[in-house]
Amino acid sequence: MALIHKLLNGTCILRKCPKQSTALHPFLSIHFADYCSSSLQKPEAAPGKAFSQRKTEGGLQGHHQKEGALDITSPEETPEISFDKAIRDEMKDHFRRLKDEIVNHWIGPEGRPLHEVLLEKAKVVWQFRGKEDLDKWMVTSDKTIGGRSEVFLKMGKNNQSALLYGTLSTEAPQDGDSSRSGYCAMISRIPRGAFERRMSYDWSNFNTLYLRVRGDGRPWMVNIREDTDLIQRKNQMYSYFMFTRGGPYWQEIKIPFSKFFFSNQGRIRDVQSQLLLDKISSIGFTLADKVDGPFFLEIDFIGVFSDPAHIEEFAYENSPEISPRLFN
Amino acid sequence: MKLPILTIIMTTIFTGTMLTMISSHWLLIWIGLEINMLSIIPILTKNQKPRSTEAATKYFLTQATASMLLMFTIVFNAMHSGQWTTTNIDPNNMIVSLTMIIALTMKLGMTPFHFWVPEVTQGVSLMTGMLLLTWQKLAPISIMMQMFTSINPIILLLIALMSVLVGGWGGLNQTQLRKILAYSSIAHMGWMMAILTFCPSLTMLNLLIYLMLTIIMFTMLNMNTNMTTLTLSNLWNKSPTITMMILISLLSLGGLPPLTGFLPKWIIIQELTKNNNIAMATVMAIMALLNLYFYMRLIYSTSLTLFPTPNNIKMKWQFQPKKRSLFLSPLIILSTLTLPLSPVLSTLN
Repeated sequence: MALIHKLLNGTCILRKCPKQSTALHPFLSIHFADYCSSSLQKPEAAPGKAFSQRKTEGGLQGHHQKEGALDITSPEETPEISFDKAIRDEMKDHFRRLKDEIVNHWIGPEGRPLHEVLLEKAKVVWQFRGKEDLDKWMVTSDKTIGGRSEVFLKMGKNNQSALLYGTLSTEAPQDGDSSRSGYCAMISRIPRGAFERRMSYDWSNFNTLYLRVRGDGRPWMVNIREDTDLIQRKNQMYSYFMFTRGGPYWQEIKIPFSKFFFSNQGRIRDVQSQLLLDKISSIGFTLADKVDGPFFLEIDFIGVFSDPAHIEEFAYENSPEISPRLFN
Repeated sequence: MKLPILTIIMTTIFTGTMLTMISSHWLLIWIGLEINMLSIIPILTKNQKPRSTEAATKYFLTQATASMLLMFTIVFNAMHSGQWTTTNIDPNNMIVSLTMIIALTMKLGMTPFHFWVPEVTQGVSLMTGMLLLTWQKLAPISIMMQMFTSINPIILLLIALMSVLVGGWGGLNQTQLRKILAYSSIAHMGWMMAILTFCPSLTMLNLLIYLMLTIIMFTMLNMNTNMTTLTLSNLWNKSPTITMMILISLLSLGGLPPLTGFLPKWIIIQELTKNNNIAMATVMAIMALLNLYFYMRLIYSTSLTLFPTPNNIKMKWQFQPKKRSLFLSPLIILSTLTLPLSPVLSTLN
């Protein structure tokens, strides 16, 4: 693993010479970092791929690794980019999604019959078995504010897990404004419906988050954001800690949703509120433990389940506003 | 919230609605609506969660827009007709009648201005949601009943039909109980408004029965703080009586004979048919089946079948209920067993 790290960091493969990169690593299907041109360079590929590529690029906040073969075209081939065809395909796709939504609305919640939804006790929400599963996530680090941390996401061995790895650096950016730095995060993309409408997950039948991960001993933070229309989404989130053990064994972490505490604009608030599970927008993992150096986190799957032994509704009723009798 | 403050706010809400209901001057009616809206905002944000704040914001924005439109209509009407009474609106003045309907249907949460109702009801607590879906309907409906002769019947019937459709369709795959009751409210408002231009006393009848049933439903859900269908399906273990009452109340809400909820639907369909509006009556009756379908799904998982529970015992220990439920028994009887009293309606004006 460390060797592969060095190889990737050392070779500095750029987008400009895609042919060489495929020649170097034709069989490993490693995603290459694209440092400078993710938003500037328009890929010369088929129109459908161009759209999906632009979509994934547009969602980036930092680095994203793409498979080298996706956007490589030899200079001799100039694929026709038909704007009209692309628009038509896009509209057809959206109308197809709308039709599916209407049909699923008739069938039941989330497109499944109601009794299935009610009787479900455990559900795998995200699993990593292929590259399309990686597209549902984005990675970000403090490089966006001028820091030096790096983070990458790729498929693990045998396509059975995802590997989030990189280097954390607490060196603050020299912009005269920031005094602290050093974070890396992996955030799930908000699910979209027809016409790119924001959808949300309904986890109200479950009460615990289940993660099957393999870490390196670093403490991570799990952040969950709710779907809100008016209040700014990026300000508010519910967080809890995830302590990983280093080692070859997989770790099964269960975090009840009652343990998540509320924070607004990065600060934990006195008035705590329970994480309401009916409109979950995204989940994220953040590493900001002020320790310079490499890190990795291998994730098998993320699920939710209903733990019948866990009856706590909310763990932090210690605010004078919520429990005035405790403070009188 | 401290009791004196709660009392003042509740009194203000009451005052606002009463002011609207007893006035015939447009300005006082508008003032009553504003007092009502502003005083319910602290009630919506009583439990300090981000979701409640969002619900209160959505509620305030839609209601303020509706109030603004209403004020525009009032002033426009005063400009053109020179008077401020509710009963003398010129029905030929398209701007006034159309904008008035838009403002009032926005207040009531009818299609196409219904999007705030499920979100706001879901964001607040059960009792506050009950207040929203019952008390807050009184003032706009009283205005509509005062000016029903000036309303364009075609537009109102269209809005009513769309509300019944959206109320039925939207509630179909909901698992959150407050959203189900919100969509039920949208559908019932549709039924009420469909008959308004033909016979306003039937709107009143439908409103009374709807209010009773909604109060019952919210009170029973509040007794065990059931917010989702899954918690409701575990209710048989805790409180079989409430389970049975929910069954009967939901069937009545769905308009199933021989329960009371059938009475307004029956009479509205009869009245629509008498006014040669057979197509409308047929479509509305068919759309009411959608409502009944999702009530039946709730009843199926709650009362008709025993859902698997996480505990091993058949009956949980039953403690004294801490939550008061005033008038629950008489309300249940009134709203489910009074269909045989329907001949009394012929004696009323």
